[in-house]
Amino acid sequence: MEPTKELIDGIERDRIARARQMSPGAKFLAGGALFDDVCERMRAGIRSQFPHEDDGGVNRILKQRLTRLRQVEEHGIYHPAGTLDEQQ
Amino acid sequence: MNSNEAVTALVEAFDRASIPYMIVGSFSSNAYGVVRSTKDADFVVPCPFADIARLVKTLGPPWRFHPQIAFESVTGTKRCLLELDDDPFHIEIFRLSDDPHDLQRFERRHQILLPNLQRPAIVPTPEDVIVTKLRWVEQAARGKDRDDVRDIITVQQELLDWNYIHHWCEQHGTRQTLDDIRSRIPPLES
Repeated sequence: MEPTKELIDGIERDRIARARQMSPGAKFLAGGALFDDVCERMRAGIRSQFPHEDDGGVNRILKQRLTRLRQVEEHGIYHPAGTLDEQQ
Repeated sequence: MNSNEAVTALVEAFDRASIPYMIVGSFSSNAYGVVRSTKDADFVVPCPFADIARLVKTLGPPWRFHPQIAFESVTGTKRCLLELDDDPFHIEIFRLSDDPHDLQRFERRHQILLPNLQRPAIVPTPEDVIVTKLRWVEQAARGKDRDDVRDIITVQQELLDWNYIHHWCEQHGTRQTLDDIRSRIPPLES
């Protein structure tokens, strides 16, 4: 069953109303906190996929996965411009 | 160290070192729009990266200055990365460029109060976040930037200085994209 236009509009109204009720400072901090929660869930997924890994190994895999996501996101936008030593 | 502790520690370090800064990217769009998860914090500073590298040295572990500098092709500035050992969160530092809008948004930056932390953070105005994000929509074609622009406009609406936004959109050739995003925002009155 497809969601109705009324349902979609209602969800959107609630989303915007919640955003308007929070202060800019609270929303500023909420994005980082959400990321920390996402990382915890990703760690749980990695532990389930690689049960032999200790916390260090789980963190290493998490960083590898996020690095891949960053590389895809930054492709064609960022280009190597040398190292700090080369620029001085 | 969690993401917000990292951002706050760096803000305090910049304040101690009297380095002016502003926090841009998704942290600033979250402040004015609808919150989404963000895996890095973006700072703009007017000083050379060597100053940042020295500052990071004084912070010590887990902070690390990544040696590779990158050129960012949307607004033509450079970026360095700060990493935290064992932590997936990144801090990206952009050098204030001589781009006219980059200079003006830095001039217009202002404080927002961070609840429970007893301190402010410095961010661009919502108009400047929209103007910058539109350039990213146009040149980097990232869907999340388009969503951020739509959400900031929807949440802020009547508070925005549209003359200012239109002025820069005309300069950047992003007016059509702005108008298209605005035309797709449904009326939200219940």
